[in-house]
Amino acid sequence: MRFQLKQYDSEAVIFDSASGDTHYLAPLALTLFQLYGEFPGLPRNDLLNVLARHSIEPGLPLDTQIDEALDGLRKAGLLRHE
Amino acid sequence: MKLKQLSPTDLRERLCDAGIWLRTGPFSLRICSSIPSVAEGLTDLYGQFEVRDQRDSFADFHVSVNSPSLLRRWIRPQVDFVFDGQLPFKPLPLDQAYPMLEWGLNWCVSMHAHQYLIIHAAVVEKNGRAAILPAPPGSGKSTLTAALILSGWRLLSDELTLIDRKTGLIHPLPRPVSLKNQSIPVIRAFSGDKAFINRPSHDTAKGTVAHMRPPKESVRRQHEPAQPAWVIFPEWVAGAATELAPRSAAQTFMFLAQNAFNYSHLGADGFRVGTQLIGQVDCYDFAYSQLDEAVRAFDQLADTPPQLRAV
Repeated sequence: MRFQLKQYDSEAVIFDSASGDTHYLAPLALTLFQLYGEFPGLPRNDLLNVLARHSIEPGLPLDTQIDEALDGLRKAGLLRHE
Repeated sequence: MKLKQLSPTDLRERLCDAGIWLRTGPFSLRICSSIPSVAEGLTDLYGQFEVRDQRDSFADFHVSVNSPSLLRRWIRPQVDFVFDGQLPFKPLPLDQAYPMLEWGLNWCVSMHAHQYLIIHAAVVEKNGRAAILPAPPGSGKSTLTAALILSGWRLLSDELTLIDRKTGLIHPLPRPVSLKNQSIPVIRAFSGDKAFINRPSHDTAKGTVAHMRPPKESVRRQHEPAQPAWVIFPEWVAGAATELAPRSAAQTFMFLAQNAFNYSHLGADGFRVGTQLIGQVDCYDFAYSQLDEAVRAFDQLADTPPQLRAV
């Protein structure tokens, strides 16, 4: 298995055996990583519907937070089935 | 035989000749040096350590601290640290010969002892539970470590936390505690006459450096591993109230991974050992300004019964 994930409450750390890198996943990034792992190709609207049920950090709009988190996951090489 | 049982002449002769074989934690060292301040430092700080006979001793690390050339004994005298015939560092001024030995020994362990996950952190133990104290330089980690071991905590290490990859236990490496700059007078004042701190070396890369002798009891128990219980990030803040605040386990893991000497080298097993460690500890940020209050806070933590954890 390429990824080893260890979850602590709503956060996680993940080891990528392909790169040898370890990454920290904040709550939203963890949720996105799990969602895209379970539902590859999940449409944006469905994603927004699912995330509306999660508690998201106050501040930036949800769309922006999602884009930033997805960008982080892509840069880390953690998003394969977007 | 303990090192303190050697006469100064005998120690110097051995150091100049075949060297002395010392056992410190899980490692045996062979040390050679013709530098008087190295012999002095070893006498001052390693008196309680076992010295072995060269005929029946294996050494994990063969090291020496000596002048690089005859010329350098007289003109701007310098010393080299040699490990297995190699020079891992540039020479340092003669006055820094003893700290160079300590730094070199840290390097030997951190670069080679991959049977452990090695984290750059102090670690102390009380009531069978160990507190790992990682922190950036200048955070007061060594000062707090020194105060804790002067107050009944057992020193496992002031610099290198050795996590056994098989058992998850922490193996002691109770060598002298490195004190820098202001922490030297602070610990002298805190300890009264309880601590022995050796002659400082000035103008090192870390400023003024001195070493505190490890407590006798910590050396006596240097082969007794401990169960990790806490990861605590100390920070000395002028005027701050003593405060222990929970911190994110995942972020603590990331800090430890980034501050481990061999996490990348161990790959997936480093991740396994690190996550196993985080799974069995409580993680805190710790702000303090008064050492005696800081020690009381740690004592309260050690006196609190451990809580059951979900597996």
